[in-house]
Amino acid sequence: MSVITTAGLTMQFGAHRALDALDVEVAHGVTGLVGANGAGKTTLMSILLGLRHASAGSASVLGLDPISEGARLRALVGYGPERNVLPEDMPASDFVKHFAEVRGMPRDEARGRASDALWLVGLGEERFRALGTMSTGQRQRVKLAQAIAADPSLVFLDEPTDGLDPVQRDEMLTLIRQISNEYGIDVLLSSHLLEEVERICDNVVALDAGRLVAHGSLADLVGNDEGVTVELVEVDDRPDATAIVLARLRERGLDVRPHDRSAAFDVVAADADLVADAVRDAVADAGARIGKVVRRRRRLEDLFQGAGR
Amino acid sequence: MNQPAQILDRGYRKYEGQRSGVAGAMRSVVKHTVRSILGIGRKGRHKVFPVIVIAIAFIPSVAFLAISILLKDFGDELRPEYWEFFGFSFAAGLLFTALVAPEAIVRDRRDGMYALYLSTPLTRMTYIGAKVIAVFGSLSIIVCGPALLAFLGYTFQGLGPDGVGNWFWVGARVVAAGLAIAAVYTAVSLGASSLTDRRAFASVAVILLMFGLSIATTVMVDSADMSENLRVLDPLGTPLELPARFFGDRTIDYSDVSTPMVVLGSAAWLAAGAAAIVARYRRLAAV
Repeated sequence: MSVITTAGLTMQFGAHRALDALDVEVAHGVTGLVGANGAGKTTLMSILLGLRHASAGSASVLGLDPISEGARLRALVGYGPERNVLPEDMPASDFVKHFAEVRGMPRDEARGRASDALWLVGLGEERFRALGTMSTGQRQRVKLAQAIAADPSLVFLDEPTDGLDPVQRDEMLTLIRQISNEYGIDVLLSSHLLEEVERICDNVVALDAGRLVAHGSLADLVGNDEGVTVELVEVDDRPDATAIVLARLRERGLDVRPHDRSAAFDVVAADADLVADAVRDAVADAGARIGKVVRRRRRLEDLFQGAGR
Repeated sequence: MNQPAQILDRGYRKYEGQRSGVAGAMRSVVKHTVRSILGIGRKGRHKVFPVIVIAIAFIPSVAFLAISILLKDFGDELRPEYWEFFGFSFAAGLLFTALVAPEAIVRDRRDGMYALYLSTPLTRMTYIGAKVIAVFGSLSIIVCGPALLAFLGYTFQGLGPDGVGNWFWVGARVVAAGLAIAAVYTAVSLGASSLTDRRAFASVAVILLMFGLSIATTVMVDSADMSENLRVLDPLGTPLELPARFFGDRTIDYSDVSTPMVVLGSAAWLAAGAAAIVARYRRLAAV
């Protein structure tokens, strides 16, 4: 059974269509909900939590209708919001315990689980500190602890690495992977950082301006090698060498994507041998020199670039 | 031989037990909110207003009880009627509605708790229902408490109502009058507080609404000789007239206003406050 299913899900705000007829099936594991700011990620999450009525279409989460069975559904899910504002004077343990109770835990159980969840996210020693005295990274961990304390089947995490430095981000992503691997909690992780999703997610739902760009398992979407990345050596007496190489490759019908500020470019094609031959010929024609050629793996970014063309 | 000490690290684990559902969620929010608005488990500065309000509410009752204990022949004509104790604590009611009650809902919208609550089994209406219960319950203690204290104090001194039936009847009217005042003040306070995300603005709005309209209606009726019925536009004084009517009496200010008008005015403020809360929270986006 899919964790999340949507059919023709549409959300219209006046003239603005935030979600456009989404048909999605999300399997178990960690799922990345990716897209730029304004792509519709948070709107989709709010519909899946039963907090908004979709303009059209339907959704099912854990086999439940988010609207007609919203209270029952929300007892089974956790949620870590994007906003990093938390009650300043509340100790982390009280905060997590309170939400475990609100999600249905008996008081003593909630107290124990709050402590366990805070230890799990690495805040065991800090659990009695007021939230207002905690760093951004610690507050993100508290939000994660709050989301998992009541043993949900599914956790929605909205930009959980927002405001974190690279080390904290790595730690947070590892934690998210851990709660899925070790405790069988499915995760829907919203992020605008594609590399994060590529690192830890099993599945991907990619949105662009409310439209579904791609969805499915990450392995299926980005797993295949695809073309090469070429870096040319800039030669003083051949200033137009790069342009000539690009032109030659395009003449052969290849998808060529120059990098922003270097003599490097991607050549995207399913047949790597054909690409290698074409690059060799084009470089020879232009009198250019190759600095580096690496096999190119398809990335999530390509899904968005493909959708934009 | 004694068992060696053990460290039992249970760690994070699955939960297979019962979940309390919406009722449990509401119970938890009520408890948390009452603790929050009374400053329980919070820093000292958060306890200042609640302590001041409670002191102001109970001082008149305690003072009258002390006088009646010290001066045994404290005359019946000097002893306030039970309904008059509600008037003594109007300042406490005003302070609570303006300075303490807004804490119940404004803070949640500012610090992200509201969005989190709606990701639980709570809905907008069950969330606000829990908040109303918390504020109404706390305010009932502030409003009913002093009059009930006086009622019980006089009873223990042998100055209470005669006969068991009459005692219960008077007691029931004291409680009902207090609950009616608390209900209207809760609606007005939360209604005004639901319109802003800043607690200071909410407090100013409540003071302007309650104290400002009280002064305005007094000016309209007493100075501009407008209809006496306009007094029911006063959300502070009109509910305080209810206890007098419950005991078949009336205050000087409202002497020319009929009981149905007083009840209607109080009900209208209750409905207006409730409508403001519902209208605001039906539209308020959670995520």
